[in-house]
Amino acid sequence: MASTLSAGEATALEVRAGRDDTVNRSSRKGFFTDTTICIGCKACEVACKQWNQLPDDGFVFTGMSYDNTGALGASTWRHVAFIERPVALSTQDGGAFSWLFSSDVCKHCARAGCLESCPTGAIVRTEFDSVFVQPDICNGCGYCVMNCPFGVIDRRESDGRAWKCTLCYDRLKEDMEPACAKACPTDSIKFGDLEVLRETARARVERLHENGMHEAYLYGADAADQPGTEGLNAFFLLVDKPEAYNLPPRPVVPTKLVKETWTSFAFAALGLVTVAIGSVFAARR
Amino acid sequence: MNRMPVDADVTYYGRPMIKPTVWGVDIPLYYYLGGAAGAAMTLGAAMQLASRDPIRRRELRKLSARCHWIGIIGSSIGGVFLIHDLGRPSRFLYMLRVFRPTSPMNMGAWILAFAAPGAISTGLFINRRGLLGALGEVSGYVSGLFGAALAGYTGVLVSNTVLPIWQQSRRWMPVLFVGSAATTAASILELFAEDEPARRVTEAFGTVGRLVEIAAAKKVEQLASAIPKVGEPFRQGAPGLLWKAASALTIASFVVSLLPSKSMKKRRLGGLLGAAGSLCLRFAVHYLGDASARDPKATIQLQSHELPERVS
Repeated sequence: MASTLSAGEATALEVRAGRDDTVNRSSRKGFFTDTTICIGCKACEVACKQWNQLPDDGFVFTGMSYDNTGALGASTWRHVAFIERPVALSTQDGGAFSWLFSSDVCKHCARAGCLESCPTGAIVRTEFDSVFVQPDICNGCGYCVMNCPFGVIDRRESDGRAWKCTLCYDRLKEDMEPACAKACPTDSIKFGDLEVLRETARARVERLHENGMHEAYLYGADAADQPGTEGLNAFFLLVDKPEAYNLPPRPVVPTKLVKETWTSFAFAALGLVTVAIGSVFAARR
Repeated sequence: MNRMPVDADVTYYGRPMIKPTVWGVDIPLYYYLGGAAGAAMTLGAAMQLASRDPIRRRELRKLSARCHWIGIIGSSIGGVFLIHDLGRPSRFLYMLRVFRPTSPMNMGAWILAFAAPGAISTGLFINRRGLLGALGEVSGYVSGLFGAALAGYTGVLVSNTVLPIWQQSRRWMPVLFVGSAATTAASILELFAEDEPARRVTEAFGTVGRLVEIAAAKKVEQLASAIPKVGEPFRQGAPGLLWKAASALTIASFVVSLLPSKSMKKRRLGGLLGAAGSLCLRFAVHYLGDASARDPKATIQLQSHELPERVS
């Protein structure tokens, strides 16, 4: 291929890319993470780090089960939680102990706190309905960090910008599935069209219930299930309370609660103006 | 759907469920300076309104100029702190590439973008003749209105987050920030000697500011403490101490300002106490929010109290 493009060729390429986007826009993509078949191998964490070329986030030993990753953050976009409980699962024989694994990730919420709070418009919704931080726009104000109900996004200190899972936007553009889903050896992480994933997930819960695992349920599968976020594009099948997995029980996007705050802001600002005028005119001789 | 009752005793090794702020001391300093500037701009505009009367204009001239100076210095230095805290300071102006009402940070950037240049233009032109003078007059009123917004929007900024204390006390946070801003502005003005009519203006403004700050702080603490784990940081650790210090200093400054003496020493003491109290308050609010974010039980309890019908 020639090393330089003529202006005409470049325009043609851009137009074609634009058309591709429009084609892709018809499908909403997401993750369904079925924690009951996660084996805690952390292949997803490694694949994510490797594909996205993420820097290390310290080599710490937490001492909590086999989890030395700790939490999602600016350089950790998949995190496998290891939950050790003195309770048996209902399908389990033997002692009162169970070990749960769950690969956590950005939820790509239908109403995303990070996106709504982003003052620069760096955080956008893509044609795959995922939530993406544009690194060339983010100015590192850090406001999204406090607006994520899941503690997912964070500012990378070495770089100054906010980072999180991109749903492997670059891979999706090439019709490849995200690195974590590709690497998952048990298909605990399923990637696909959101509608299909929801059906699969509901069938899976039914199946588990039939098999006697009555505690299985879906977390954030749709807006009815999680009104505070209007549903998650990356949802989970869990067998214990969300809190056990460090997932918030009833997350709410802050913007949904802020109307009354703006109202009191209006009263307060109006009050300030009134008091200022009042102090000036009351102090007349 | 999850039908299990929320249980704040279940956590993931006690690790935080959400992230605390990534903000350093720059941001509480910005609240402080931006607040003082905003309240001073509003007071300046109110005096401009009264200055149509030439006698009043002469009486209030010095005080007006001081208000303009506080507006200029506070909003510019505050702006510097704000920019310094960014991970990419050179991209500060990217804040103005969109207009996004869902982001109080974006709204604040626009407010500051009107208030700070407005303050500068007021200070430069207000006493000029002709067209420049008219520009100064208009700038005075514009910066007065945007100043009021500047003093209050930071309260929305902190409350529009998932940090439990800030979210839970969201109804009173803007009032607290505005009250504190008025206290700061009045306190700074009290450090300077004034003639009688101007003195009374500062005194009235400062008295109301202090009262609002004290009352709103009480309400904020009450709202947060309605949920035990959310209110916990008010009662323990360094943030709790800072909060108590803020409240003690502000009350002390209020008491001093009520003393009948007209001595300059008393006025300055009241001003110093008020300025220190507001500064402590801004830092206390910041660190209290962080402390509540680090406690997963605060997040869990907050969500078990949040009624579903409140989510519209």
